[in-house]
Amino acid sequence: MAQQAFGAMSAVQIQEGLKAKDFSAAEVARGALDGIAAADGQVHSFLQVTEDLALEAAARVDDALAAGTFDELGPLAGVPVGFKDNMNLVGTRTTCSSRMLAGYESPYTATCVQRCLDAGALPMGKLNMDEFAFGSSTETSAFGPTRNPWDLGRVPGGSSGGSAAAVAAGLVPVTLGSDTGGSIRQPASFCGVVGVKPTYGMVSRYGVVAFGSSLDQVGPFSRTVADAALAMNAIAGRDPLDCTSQPNGLDFTASLEAGVEGMRIGIVPEFMDAPGLTPEVRERIQEAAAKLEAEGAQLVDVSLPNAKAAMSAYYVLGPCEAFSNLARFDSVRYGYCDPGHKDLNAQYDASRAAGFGEEARRRIMLGSYLLSAGVYEKYYYPAQQVRTLITQDYTRAFEQVDCILTPVAPRTAFEFGEIGDPTEMYLSDMFTISINIAGNGGMSVPVGLGSDTGLPIGAQVIAPAFQDDRMTRVAAALERIYGQASVAPGFADGKAGE
Amino acid sequence: MRKLEEVLNDWEAVIGLEVHAELTTLETKMFCGCKLEFGAEPNTHTCPVCLGLPGALPVPNKAAIEGIVLAGLATNCDIEKHTTFYRKNYMYPDMAKNFQTTQGPVAFCMRGHLDLDVDGPAARERHGLDALEPGQAEGNITRTEDGYTAHVGITRIHMEEDAGKMVHVGGGEGRIAGATHSLVDYNRAGTPLIELVTEPDLRTPEEARLFMQKLRAIYLALGISDCSMEEGSLRCDGNVSLRRRGSAGLGVKTELKNMNSFKNLHDGLAYEICRQAEVLEEGGQIYQETRHWDPSAKRTIVMRVKETADDYRLFPEPDLAPYDLSDEFIEAVRAKLPELPDQKAKRFEAEFGLSAYDARHLTEHGSTARFFEGCMAEAAGDAAALAKPVANLVINDVTAYLNAHEGFALDGSPLTPERMVELVRLAEADSISSKQAKEVLLAVIEEGKAPKAIVEERGMEQVSDAGAIEAVVDEVLAANPDKVEQYKGGKTGLMGFFVGQCMKAMAGQGNPKVINELLAAKLDA
Repeated sequence: MAQQAFGAMSAVQIQEGLKAKDFSAAEVARGALDGIAAADGQVHSFLQVTEDLALEAAARVDDALAAGTFDELGPLAGVPVGFKDNMNLVGTRTTCSSRMLAGYESPYTATCVQRCLDAGALPMGKLNMDEFAFGSSTETSAFGPTRNPWDLGRVPGGSSGGSAAAVAAGLVPVTLGSDTGGSIRQPASFCGVVGVKPTYGMVSRYGVVAFGSSLDQVGPFSRTVADAALAMNAIAGRDPLDCTSQPNGLDFTASLEAGVEGMRIGIVPEFMDAPGLTPEVRERIQEAAAKLEAEGAQLVDVSLPNAKAAMSAYYVLGPCEAFSNLARFDSVRYGYCDPGHKDLNAQYDASRAAGFGEEARRRIMLGSYLLSAGVYEKYYYPAQQVRTLITQDYTRAFEQVDCILTPVAPRTAFEFGEIGDPTEMYLSDMFTISINIAGNGGMSVPVGLGSDTGLPIGAQVIAPAFQDDRMTRVAAALERIYGQASVAPGFADGKAGE
Repeated sequence: MRKLEEVLNDWEAVIGLEVHAELTTLETKMFCGCKLEFGAEPNTHTCPVCLGLPGALPVPNKAAIEGIVLAGLATNCDIEKHTTFYRKNYMYPDMAKNFQTTQGPVAFCMRGHLDLDVDGPAARERHGLDALEPGQAEGNITRTEDGYTAHVGITRIHMEEDAGKMVHVGGGEGRIAGATHSLVDYNRAGTPLIELVTEPDLRTPEEARLFMQKLRAIYLALGISDCSMEEGSLRCDGNVSLRRRGSAGLGVKTELKNMNSFKNLHDGLAYEICRQAEVLEEGGQIYQETRHWDPSAKRTIVMRVKETADDYRLFPEPDLAPYDLSDEFIEAVRAKLPELPDQKAKRFEAEFGLSAYDARHLTEHGSTARFFEGCMAEAAGDAAALAKPVANLVINDVTAYLNAHEGFALDGSPLTPERMVELVRLAEADSISSKQAKEVLLAVIEEGKAPKAIVEERGMEQVSDAGAIEAVVDEVLAANPDKVEQYKGGKTGLMGFFVGQCMKAMAGQGNPKVINELLAAKLDA
């Protein structure tokens, strides 16, 4: 049969095709591998392609198809999936896009990755990211940036830029990313795909290299909301190895068709009037809100008065946790080592100076300073108090509404090198960060292209903690209005690699 | 350097202890499922969590939390129901994550105390005791008949994880100085560790030693640790400073390490107190520093000078949610509290009519207390009469044997309560002398035979027959008329000579009590 662009198909379509015996899982894997080989040279979303692992998994799926047990495999059976390179998978390198871990192979597999494998996924490889997830553009990767499939001169966003770009370029239908301040939602918005940041505790963090332990959460990227729901069904749930994970019995696919009639959807005036929000983004979000209202939702203004302090709290808590989490990369047992020093401290200093990139060093130094005696009291305590206030803001808001609709990012994808000032870069997360601080879920769903730039824009749907299926329900309604996200124009069916 | 007693006349020592105990009796480590085992092949009990590999996360061991709550309840602590784990950040290769998970300002156990009974020679180090009447209190002590009771505050007991074990190769005695390389064994990394911190309430090295002995006895009774100071499962650091008698301020303190036995704890502190006194008396200055007790050189040496306080950048461990203890959990743990040494001692006093001193020494070790109780059960109706002689043999001779023979345990040894009571009955019936009783005791342990068999075998049966003894007494007196004359002239010290001569004539088998009585009757007539 003719070569199909399996990576450009949705997970649901692939599973239908497999069940109808239109093609085999081996063909899916081979097709996706070919697609990556042909097109990823332009995008640079993959750091490593795991051909053997994909083909082995495909063989198991084909065995199940032959045995008539395909339906028992799980929600991602036969679906090619890529993983952000901060997720451990035995048999692969887990580099976090850092020179520090350039050759590092984990002896164990992350729970979220294992759950995908257990659900029948075909592991296609590891995806580029900002170094240790520090960044909003994937420019800080030690292995070169990922390019936005919609405009190769622009960034895909970050830190999960590779995960977003691989889906936008039609290389795979589903990827996993991690989100500490917006690292799933912002690249999803920039690349015009769906991206879910679940409630903290929905998905196990075990085996995902930590950035900010109290903020990190794993979630999927996809081009369709239904695919994201399948992935959430596969990865969500309590993990005994992550004591911050919680049990939940949500079926994300159950409410996709429920619509928004009667739902109360919150609009945050402080966000819509925020300086820095570009007119084209405001326009699309207002339009999306209006369309949901036309579908029977009730729009309610809600206030998040303390959300403006989220950025400040984040750049205290995040670096503090990162400083401590990254202390283990000391050149002694694994990772980059600058040897030959007489003294252990000299080896630490030299190895860490050369092994970490600039942004990683900046955050480590910031965290080290913020936790030091006399400084800690002035910053860490207030940041924790802000955290409580923001959480209370969301609790109050959700007394009035079922979910909240906001922009994801203040603008569309920017050009490489356009933002040099780190604090300006940090503003990319101005609408997403407060959700990590509060801990509840948020997701990005495409709502068309910007009227000025012609680039994708995502709307953020925010749900109360552990009510994450409300996000997919509203996102599915928006998807019915705007149509499913398409593969980026330059990579549309058949064009990949041209 | 001057002697400790002299120094303590002029100076008051202020001592606080930090005691680390590994919860060795648990199956698994603090935050992962790795097995706890001392002496296993290096790095065989490790996993991503205790190796601090990228992405690994901690899961608290509930059994360890039960252990620390037991320790807190047994040391009169308040149990805090809402606590948070903290990260203590410092870089060292024995700590794979480069931070240690510990607790913050609020630990599981806060504000406890132990009361120490200090008596006998141990009380001599305490200054100004003579000025107090029994029952009279001053500061944290209350005078007793033969010593005093000291109330020692416990600041807190917190939960933490142990580091790996570093072995430095190429230098002297495994020390880092001069080493060419270092090895790390992570088997110990992540071992549940409880750290008890006392208030600076201790004033003498003896009090410090007694505190450690008492704490060890409690931990052993609770069954939470094997408390081996030699293997390092029980470790003690001492903080000590001096101030002039009558002064209230605190001097600069030094921290003492490597006091891995009760003797080292006492001797290290005693040396350090004398050293500080000498420095201060010569107009010198004490520096805040960590010092290492070298038992072979009998001195403390500087390990590291602390110019500024260490900044460990403590902050709440974000991978662990705040830990809440329910009332039900605490009560369930309380219900598991065994009889503690103090309670057992009180019971021994009441039940067997023992002195406080005897009761305390019998209950210091669980196995000794069990053995004593076994003897009392064996003695049945004679328990009250045999309690004191059994206690004497156990406290003096059995304990001495235990101390001298490492690896010997009472449980399952040839010295059964049955044999012990048989032996004491022989001595009480004057069938053997108290000196012979000690010999038989040793033989029971080493030959594994019953006391009666040994006594027969060795022909030790004591002669108490007055007629037989009188004949010997008459002989001895007749053979030494000059000495009899001297005795009658007032040289009564010669009694010992006559007893010795009689014993010699009876090959050591005469009952000394009867000999004494007969000699006295004849000489003093």
